[in-house]
Formats: sequence, C-alpha cells, structure tokens
Amino acid sequence: MTRNGPVALIFHTLVVLFMLAPLAIVCLVAFTPENTLSLPTHGFSLRWFEAVFHHPDFVQSFWNSLWLALLSATLAVGLAVPAALAITRFEFPGRGFLNALFLSPLIIPHLVLGVAMLRLFAIVGATGSFGWLVAAHMVIVTPYVMRLLIAAISGFDRSVEQAALSLGASEATVFRRVTLPMILPGVTGGWLIAFINSFDELTMSIFITSPSTVTLPVRMYMYATESIDPMMAAVSALIIGITAVAVLLLDRVYGLDRILVGQH
Amino acid sequence: MSFLELKNITKRYGPMTAVGDISLSVEKGEFVSLLGPSGCGKTTTLQMIAGFVEPSAGTIRLDGRDITRAKANSRGLGIVFQSYALFPHMTVFDNVSFGLEMQRVPKGERKPRVEEALALVHLSPYAGRYPRELSGGQRQRVALARALVIRPPVLLLDEPLSNLDAKLREAMQFELRDIQRKVGTTTVMVTHDQSEAFSISDRVVVMEAGRITQIDQPYRIYEHPQTEFISRFVGKTNLLPGTVTAATAGGASVSLAGIRVDVETAGLSAGETVTLCIRPEKLRLTAPTQGLLTGRVADRYFLGSQWLYHIDGPLGTLMAVTPNDGSTPVETGAPVGLDWSPAVVRIHRGTLAEAPDPALEVAG
Repeated sequence: MTRNGPVALIFHTLVVLFMLAPLAIVCLVAFTPENTLSLPTHGFSLRWFEAVFHHPDFVQSFWNSLWLALLSATLAVGLAVPAALAITRFEFPGRGFLNALFLSPLIIPHLVLGVAMLRLFAIVGATGSFGWLVAAHMVIVTPYVMRLLIAAISGFDRSVEQAALSLGASEATVFRRVTLPMILPGVTGGWLIAFINSFDELTMSIFITSPSTVTLPVRMYMYATESIDPMMAAVSALIIGITAVAVLLLDRVYGLDRILVGQH
Repeated sequence: MSFLELKNITKRYGPMTAVGDISLSVEKGEFVSLLGPSGCGKTTTLQMIAGFVEPSAGTIRLDGRDITRAKANSRGLGIVFQSYALFPHMTVFDNVSFGLEMQRVPKGERKPRVEEALALVHLSPYAGRYPRELSGGQRQRVALARALVIRPPVLLLDEPLSNLDAKLREAMQFELRDIQRKVGTTTVMVTHDQSEAFSISDRVVVMEAGRITQIDQPYRIYEHPQTEFISRFVGKTNLLPGTVTAATAGGASVSLAGIRVDVETAGLSAGETVTLCIRPEKLRLTAPTQGLLTGRVADRYFLGSQWLYHIDGPLGTLMAVTPNDGSTPVETGAPVGLDWSPAVVRIHRGTLAEAPDPALEVAG
C-alpha cells in the first residue's frame, strides 16, 4: 500500500469533512435548550430528546419503520437467495427476463412507484394494510439484495459443493452447511443494505402509508412541513446513533470489509 | 471381475461427443492415471465415475455393483479436486471431519479418525487453522486427508498437483504415491502431465479426443507407443518418414530419404510407407562419418543433468539427448555423427498425420 502525499491527505480530509459536517451539526443542534434550530448554541439540554419520547406519534412511527425494515429486508433476502441461485446457475427460458424483472425497480423513480402502488392499494382494498406496505418495500429493496447475491454466487467454486456431495451430504445439507455459509457475506450485506433502504424510504411511502402505518421518515416529513423545531434534529441524531451502533456491532461481529468487499 | 469397471461409457453433449465408448478395468489397490491433453475427455470420465456427470451410455461397476445412475452422495468415493475445494469457513479439523459427520460416525470415533488422517498427511499441528492460513501444498494435503478419512473404495484425483510449483509438485508426487501405498486405496488420477502420470501410476491410460488410445504400464507406453500421437505427446521424439525397401529375417530395411536403416519390426512389406520414431536419448553422438548419419550441431541446450542437441542432417533437424557425464559437450556448428541400434526404433505404419503440435511438445 502506498502512503498518501500531503495534497491527497488534504483532499481526503476535505471530502470526509464535507460528508460528516452536516451530520455533526445536526447532532450538535439536537442538544440545544432553545426553541429554534440554532448554532452556536448556548448551553446543553436533553429537552428535545425528551420531547421525542413524549410524542407518541414518533414512537409509533419508529416501531412501524423498524418492523417494516426488518420484515421487508428479511423477506427480500428469503426471496432473493433462491432467485439469485437459479439465475446464476441454471439456463432456463425466461432467465434474462426474470433477472431484469428483479432489478427493474432500481430504474423506476420512487415517485412513480408510489403513485402506482397507491392505485393498486385502492383497487385491492389494501389501503392502510401493513402487510401490503411490507410487500411494496420488498419491491424496492430486493434489487439491492439480488445485486450483492449474484456477485457473491458468481464467484463461487462449485467444486466445493461437489466435494460436500461426494462426502455423502444431501443437497439440503450442502446448502445449509456449505453454500449458505460461503455466500453469507453477500446475504448479510444485502440484508443490511435492504434494511437501511427500507428504513430510509420516504418518496414512495408518502403515498401508501395510512395514519396507523406512518413510517418515521414520513412522520418527520409531515412534522417538518408544519414546524421546524430542534425536535427534528433530536430524531435525526437518534437515527444516526442507532445506525452507527448497528454498523459498529456488525463490524465487530462480522467485519465490514467482509460484507462490503466479500473477502473470506 | 475387476474392482472398478467402466464399460462402453459414452458422454455426448448435444452433437459433441466428449467421451466416446471407452472401457477400462481397474484392479483393487491399483493406481491408474488418465493422461491426455486438455479436452480429451479425461476429466469428464472422472466426473462420471464420481457421479457428477451422467453417462449417455454404458455402465460403471464398483465392486460388482452397478453405480452408473447412483447419486454422487451415495457412492462414498473420495475426491481431490484441482482447486482443492476445501470448505473455507471450516477449520482443517472440521473439513476432514465433515465426511464422517455425514456418515453419522459417532462423535467419539470421529476425533481419532480425523487425527489419524491428519497424521497421515503430516498436518497434525494445523488442525485448528483455516484453509486460507495454509500454503498450497498444505491445502492439497487437507484435501487428501478429507477424501481418505471416509475410507473410500476408490480415490479420485483431478489434476491434484497442477496448482503447485515445480519443486513441491515433485515432492508431493512421491508422497501421494507413498500415502496411496500405505492405505491401499484404489486410485484414479486425471492429469495432463506425463511425468506425473509415469512416476506414480501402476498403469497409464492415454486418452485422445474422447477415446482411449493405449492402456499400459508407464515404461511400456514410453518405449512402445502404439500411435504416433502418443509418441509425440509422451516425451520427445524424432519422427522420420520412410519407405520399406525389403523385409529381412530380423525385421525390415527402410529407406529414409535414400539412407538405408534396419529396423527390428516384423510384418512389414516392401513398398509400405512408415514413420520411424526414435527417442532423443536413444541417439548416440559419434565422431563425424562414423555413425549412420552425419550432421552439424545447430543448437545445444544445457538441461542440468543432460545436454539437448538439435542436429541438422540429411533427414532434417533431429533431437539428441546425452547425459551430462562430465565429458566435453560438442560445440555448436561442429560436425557430428549420429548412431543408433535397430532395437530402439519404433515403427508406425502410414505417413505423418500432421505436423507436430508445438503445444503438445512442451508437455514432454
């Protein structure tokens, strides 16, 4: 590995600053005792965090978003693993079409998807249904999982599975003991990206959430259109905190570079 | 009845025949190599024995039992793959133990058997490591231990040494043979490397374009190649076209571009077109005009234990190899005589099929 020269170091520092500064400022503002989003702030207070937890709508939306992201990411992985295995390993009629179909939500604007889903929900009478919301989010997050899984499975040495077979393992055992552990970086990486995408999704969700299923981003958006107060910053700081803890945990337990680069 | 028997095995992929009607019998405890250039069908044959590829026709019998359509995971064969195919997420111990676990060997019995297998390949201290922490040679040994621990009736080796560097490959060759002798497992190895096949096999099966062209002991294949292809693929050889002038009591007389040469092959008739094969190491360098031919050294190469000469003469360029016995080698450009005894000449009937393929020459 070559070391960075001074110019490169300055450049990298600036890039990192540019990316982190907004997040840092939001976190700072969240601790203001004042009634407006102000910086520099005078003093330190947790009153806006307290306000979040005393705001039942936000608490409810947080749980909605968490369940939505957990379910849609998990179901998307459950769907994508067999689909990616079939697409990468077998030649069958409609293979290219299926592959394109799974990846197509990537190129459709979420706004368009939102309108279409709104219409669909009205037709099938699913307005306000949490299950249908999960299904809609699955459509959005599955392509990300598919991309990572196809990459993971393409680089897979099939003779490892043949070796397990020759040692007497059944096909199910080969999948559980050999194939799945070996593509696990792709699976967990895909799940994580799916979770973040679902948890973060606003544009489509605005159209298809009902009062009981409002997600956190939608709740924040609705709140922000009416009033701007430091509670928004507090919610943002909480989300940043939760995400950071999750990523750190994942890095400790599994190793981020293994997920993102796929090293064994 | 032999232990492993392939009878009229054929594999077709659409219009392409990968393996065409081959039959092979392997005795219990025997070490047999399938040798041939890439694309000759040797790996497909191995995969059919393993059960990964289903034959289009023919039967495979193991110890009298028909296993042609048996599933790969019911055959109980040990396989070492070219890429080793170790389980990257398992330790060396767990890799070796996997097969025993699948055979539902009780836990208490597994540990001593894994340890025994690891001791056999000298890897006992590495039981707790992961494959990525091992060198190529060590991975190779893990693969071997994993295949042998289930006590398979037949061990299949798919180019087991091709990913190792030259020095290690040679050492592993002998070790592989040693281990195979110790456990006595019937072994079928696929290789494109003739020295590998020759040094460790009881018998070598030469394959060419999906067919078996010769099955014999290594020495016999080298000394008595049955086809021109084999004489070119196996080692280096000088191929000389000629015409039989007369059948004699002890063989025949052949004219090579006007030069008369005696051979000991019987059954040739006058007027027949033949190709003479003479191994380079069977040619003797003599003083000019004292041999059967006189030529001039065009090039000479020092191979360590040997000298390789390219000698231009009336029959074109011939290769000759002499041992580096300490005597002064002949200088480039110097005239030299070439001599050989009629006993070392092999005859193939007919003319040269095609120009020697340089890619195949390299394999020698």
